Amino acid sequence: MAERVDKHILKNGMVILGEPMATVESAAFDFMLPAGAALLPDGCCGAGSVIADWIFRGAGDRNSRQLSDALDGLGLHRASSVNSSHITIGASLEAGNLAEAIDLYADIILRASLKQDQFELARQLAIDGVLALDDDPRQKVMLKLREQFYPSPLGRSAVGEIDELKTLTAERTRQIIKNKFNLSQTIFAVAGKYNFDAICRQIENLFETQQRTPAEPVKPVSKAGKYMHLHNDGAQVHIGLMTNTVKPTDKDYYNARVAVSVLSGGMSARLFTEVREKRGLCYAIGARYHGLKEAAGIMCYAGTTPENAQETLDVIMAEFKRLSEGISEEEISRAKVGLKSSLILQSESSSSRAGGIGSDYYMLGKVRSLDEIKNKIEETSVDSVLRFLRNNKFKDFTVVTIGPKCLK
Amino acid sequence: MEFKKKILANGLAVIGEINKSAKSAAVGFFVKTGSRDETKEINGVSHFLEHMLFKGTEKLNAFEVNEAFDRIGAQFNAFTSEENTVFYAAVLPEYLTEVTKLWAELMRPALKDEDFNIEKNVIKEEIAMYKDLPSFDVMDRCRTLHFDGHPCGNSVLGSEESIDNLTAEQMRSYFANRYAPNNMVLVCVGNADWEQICSIAETSCSKWQKQVVERKLEHCPGSKKRERVEKPNLACEHICLMSPAVSARDPRRFASSLLATVVGDDVGSRFFWELVDKALAEAATMQFGAMDGTGAFHSYIRCSSANVRKVLDTINGIFHGLSESGITDDELTKAKNKTLSALVIKNELPMGRLVDVGFNWTYLEEYRTIADDVNAIRAVTVDDVHSLIEQFNPGDFTQLSIGPAQST
Repeated sequence: MAERVDKHILKNGMVILGEPMATVESAAFDFMLPAGAALLPDGCCGAGSVIADWIFRGAGDRNSRQLSDALDGLGLHRASSVNSSHITIGASLEAGNLAEAIDLYADIILRASLKQDQFELARQLAIDGVLALDDDPRQKVMLKLREQFYPSPLGRSAVGEIDELKTLTAERTRQIIKNKFNLSQTIFAVAGKYNFDAICRQIENLFETQQRTPAEPVKPVSKAGKYMHLHNDGAQVHIGLMTNTVKPTDKDYYNARVAVSVLSGGMSARLFTEVREKRGLCYAIGARYHGLKEAAGIMCYAGTTPENAQETLDVIMAEFKRLSEGISEEEISRAKVGLKSSLILQSESSSSRAGGIGSDYYMLGKVRSLDEIKNKIEETSVDSVLRFLRNNKFKDFTVVTIGPKCLK
Repeated sequence: MEFKKKILANGLAVIGEINKSAKSAAVGFFVKTGSRDETKEINGVSHFLEHMLFKGTEKLNAFEVNEAFDRIGAQFNAFTSEENTVFYAAVLPEYLTEVTKLWAELMRPALKDEDFNIEKNVIKEEIAMYKDLPSFDVMDRCRTLHFDGHPCGNSVLGSEESIDNLTAEQMRSYFANRYAPNNMVLVCVGNADWEQICSIAETSCSKWQKQVVERKLEHCPGSKKRERVEKPNLACEHICLMSPAVSARDPRRFASSLLATVVGDDVGSRFFWELVDKALAEAATMQFGAMDGTGAFHSYIRCSSANVRKVLDTINGIFHGLSESGITDDELTKAKNKTLSALVIKNELPMGRLVDVGFNWTYLEEYRTIADDVNAIRAVTVDDVHSLIEQFNPGDFTQLSIGPAQST
């Protein structure tokens, strides 16, 4: 198992991380740019999606078409995403093309053309993306849930708000890119087959600058949102539920992860057993840990027809509350095996490792080795998980529903 | 990588691609059955049966099945299509024997009335869930319209009505024929002990009775009908286009797949430049789906109601251009690069490899290495693609749209 993590920090503060994988011919990389939805100025909700599109519409001496052709010529598969903290742009590809790909991405990050006509198109697509969300209530309910749950602006939608997108201008967006693509706070992560020395030299040549700019802190404001219903005459009521838990840096983080796994780790976990297997209330039901640097929660989704919706919500809430009353050795042991096994299975994918080491570094300031995570999971026990649950009782639930029926 | 094969006396094919350097292993049963093998009366039975296999055997109940998978940290699931039902699991190598034994046991399920009745609710919830996903719904309806009476147009999920009327007895009789050993393949890939797998197959599966299993194979030219369904709660227009293509055994499947990439890959394709880049449509993709004895090109486009006319005109223009002037060398090269890197990356994971090895055996009774596929893709010429366009004329399609009420 690859246990080496490569790390190098440029003078300007940009971090380069790598995890070599002996058995693959591919490589995957991510540039994590500190321009996530929570870091945007007010009134620009959705600017992240516009930016993630706009910067690919021509860069360096290539126009939009030439840039796209150059990327396709390398056979690379692009992956862009916007979350609360970062715009992440990356790719997976055959390892031999890595250096050329990084050159192109340097142009995209540092020398995007940012033309006015291309801005209008990128903005229109972002607006259409918000509209399309109305036709995907399952995804929309989880976005609304994060918005309601996290102190503002941490839960701000990365997809955007139509009103704010409509008033967004190219000039304003250029300014955001200029201010937020702060190399001092940027993380580059690569996994798979690569030569770390060569990558460091290349990134240094492309991205080294003299000044080091500190990060601008976010000042979250708590909100009181508890239950929200959005009406939609669809076939199901889509239920999102979220409750507070410890952050990834907390000493109890692994107890929280094991607790969530007891609730919803596999098909023998409590939610699946109680809601689907015993009562047949849902097809889709699950809960997972969702952590930001500043706050964290356990989020749960269930989709169910209107006549079953109230009972579904009641059973879910009861299962959350019942957890601290007792957990068997057997349940803890299944939860731990499940977590460890998914960790190792994911470690075979270069793109999931590149994402993993980058987010570890951002959250924790270091990259955890697989052994470290395995040991921490191993250290948890029935006692430690129950003690954690009793000290951190699930009290407040934020609930969002979309569908033909409102719940109590 | 080493290929292994053993055919039991009752016709069960056991195949393996052993790679001792992998960190994990994957195993699956591929059953040659799906909605195209159903009559109208029992529509949805294949998919329902897939759910019922998790409900246990004479010895194991559903809770024990779930626990058995979770105890070894298996990442497991199943899926049903028009013509295949696949049960799979990825595990750490030390658990492969156990999970293979478990799957073999589950392939002879109890199919109890009480489990059938409770699972019926879950199936109906799943049908409701997909109704709220118009991007799925539109494909499903378009397939039915395109195949127009041909069994490949049968819905995988069935309808609420067909599921309501289905009896456990009908399911048992369908099972007895379709899950015959000569209609199934047991596949393992990754870090597996081949002798162990064979010994499990001998012990657990050799008593299964061979059956005469049939499937109607006819090519379907497609109805070329055009329909629109109105759903007042939708925000966007969802359009699906379908036209005939070659089957899974046809060597031209590689050229077909490249043609679909040239026309409708999510970036850098003709759809991308004409529709998405210009912000006429928010999503526009085309794919090639190879089936037993037939095949189809299918496209999915999502746009605002205001743009529908322009989008359809543009699509007609794209297909017209394709018939008139074909594709360029440069387009084909880019499509090859993207396809080849995707193939390499996907096959680095045992789970990705399982599906390819399993389907190659299911359709071709042939083992193909990754290199075989790489070479077949490299060998495709522009002329190969042109003769496909000429023979199948993808611009002559069946069209189904779902969208909000139209303002006239």
